[in-house]
Amino acid sequence: MRGLLKRWSFWCLMILVLAALFGNRLFDAPPGAEVAAAFSKPLWLDRTLPPTLELALTPEKPSLELDWTYGSPSRFSLRVETAHSAPDRFVEWRIPDREEPFRLTPLRTGTELDGRDISFKRSLGLPPFGDASSALFPARGAYSLSVSGEGDWQGSVTIRLEGGRWGLLGTDQRGRDIAALFTAGIRVSLLVGIFATLLATILGTSLGLAAGYAGGWADSIIMRVVDLLLSIPLLPILMALAALWGKGLWQLILILSVFSWMGTARTIRALALTLRDAPYIEGLRGLGARTGYILRRHLLPETLPVLLATMTLGVPGAILSEAGLSFLGLSDPRVISWGRMLHEAQSFGAFTAGAWWMLLPPGFGIALLCLVFLDLGKYLEERVDPRLRGGGPS
Amino acid sequence: MSGYWARRTGSALLVLGLVLVLNFVLFRMMPGDPVASIIDPNFSPDAKAQLSALYGLDKPLPVQFLLYVKSTLSFDFGISFLTGRPVMEELRSRVPNTVALLGTSLLLSSFLGTWLGMKAALKRGSLLEKCVLWSGALSFSFPSFFVQLVLLMAFAATLPLFPLRGTLSVPPPPGGFALVRDYLWHMALPIFSLVLLGFGGWALYVRNLMVKILGEDFILLARARGLPRKNIIRGHAFRTLLPPLLTIFLLSLPGVVSGAVITETVFSLHGVGRFLLEAVTGHDYPAAGASFFLLALLTVACNLLSDVLYGITDPRVRLDRGAQR
Repeated sequence: MRGLLKRWSFWCLMILVLAALFGNRLFDAPPGAEVAAAFSKPLWLDRTLPPTLELALTPEKPSLELDWTYGSPSRFSLRVETAHSAPDRFVEWRIPDREEPFRLTPLRTGTELDGRDISFKRSLGLPPFGDASSALFPARGAYSLSVSGEGDWQGSVTIRLEGGRWGLLGTDQRGRDIAALFTAGIRVSLLVGIFATLLATILGTSLGLAAGYAGGWADSIIMRVVDLLLSIPLLPILMALAALWGKGLWQLILILSVFSWMGTARTIRALALTLRDAPYIEGLRGLGARTGYILRRHLLPETLPVLLATMTLGVPGAILSEAGLSFLGLSDPRVISWGRMLHEAQSFGAFTAGAWWMLLPPGFGIALLCLVFLDLGKYLEERVDPRLRGGGPS
Repeated sequence: MSGYWARRTGSALLVLGLVLVLNFVLFRMMPGDPVASIIDPNFSPDAKAQLSALYGLDKPLPVQFLLYVKSTLSFDFGISFLTGRPVMEELRSRVPNTVALLGTSLLLSSFLGTWLGMKAALKRGSLLEKCVLWSGALSFSFPSFFVQLVLLMAFAATLPLFPLRGTLSVPPPPGGFALVRDYLWHMALPIFSLVLLGFGGWALYVRNLMVKILGEDFILLARARGLPRKNIIRGHAFRTLLPPLLTIFLLSLPGVVSGAVITETVFSLHGVGRFLLEAVTGHDYPAAGASFFLLALLTVACNLLSDVLYGITDPRVRLDRGAQR
């Protein structure tokens, strides 16, 4: 077991599992929520673009100073929530190079303003075209937001500026946080990868044992089916079934496992064939042991180490198949997965927007997860058969 | 000796037969009444029954199956629900593109992979061997569509060196030479991506096989006989490598054909794979069934071809004793 702790892949997998379980708690919004302008770049990418900000005025903090060093944001919106409306008091926006502040709105509860509203623009004396934010942010310099008049007020005034930058990995075509989507995608890939292979292994083991130990017509039928399934392209069948059975996650897992047990069945059959005639099994038969007993207590434990290795090596296949089907648009659109993210990147204009940050995270995520399982599988294989030790990766 | 060919042909026919059954069951199970998409709800029951009779849907299932087999084997796939044109007509213009895409990339990647794999096996511990091992591992873990999307973004969207989509420009350029050049320009990136994705696995397999072969006694013997190194590698080692290489070729075929669906979707190529996707998502059963059948046929034909080649390269399987492999 100590060898396992030295593998990079083991620690990588642990981190990914933790991220899948708890990662989305790091984000304020749920992964599907729209948080910023569409196709926002990652924060670290282009420092000349304005970031996405949310600023709040409260009675404790009645004015805000803002040192703006960027161009105007792409969207400006404002929300007022107070306990008592005060129509004679105004939210004021002071901009550089202009004496008079903009009186954005009276302090009235439930007011929601958007930079695109025509009435809002007209109340500010602005032309009715375009977004108000270019007039509200004409230049670099010191801006301030405050509430005019004297005395206390209760509640809050929130302004929200949507710039071209957001978060660690930017946003997609609907303004969703890619970092949050990526974290949610880990869960789907792990779930499908592990459960589809688990089911396939159970199926393959039972069929392989039946074919190898029982022999006869069962053997020829099962092996014929294996040959057939290994010699026709499976993706078209998976596509048809995904369209036929609906697109839920568990249906997908079932479909994938029904078409990926063949390798395991072959391996287990070969093993069962050699074990069937081993002296100790013959001895058991001679002692009158039942077939079920022999299979359960002697053959199955014998195959377990091999099974563990083939199972781990089978996970990348399931992950890639799921990603492929989602990429082709055959998955549930409500389930966020890495393949789905790539599908949306291609279908909804990541290319024309040049939004490469939509492409790289899910792609490298899939590849990393596959490499992790390949490396773990190789480790287990070497444990089972030490002759395989040595040599490079995979 | 003829027994081997007969057996291989027989098993190919069996696979084809099972594909027919699978195809029938799969697309007959698809949701919805097959005629529902062309029938207006306002049709009278009489008209509905007439339409059902027209499509042979009133007959019992076994008869339907036989009719289906008969029409499929004569390449009469009916009329597409989506385009209203005969499916065969749609497919006829697409098959050459798919065959060209898969054939070229398969040949290029297998030659490149074999060459690199042999080099790597001959130079154990070299940088080249490490590269081959890593490229193998990477090609098993990177999803093909991701690599293709990145290539598309880099060399078609950001640097406009290659076209973003399609098999030919719209409208296609006049003249034979310009047309061929335009076609190659469109196919270059898809083929390059498939070679990039495919050669790593080949190189890894060939390297592993070659390392094993080079450790065998007959190589040692050949060396002891004082044969030149070149002769040993080309005449002895490579000759031994050929049959297992063909087996790998055979095993990789279904995956390669599956890959056509994805590649043609990413690059929007006018091929059978993308047609299949459109048919499946649009519930166009005749078209979906026909494209699946053609893709399976392509695989089975290639399987048979490599079986024939296998028999030629490995005399043991042709003779009775080595019948099993």
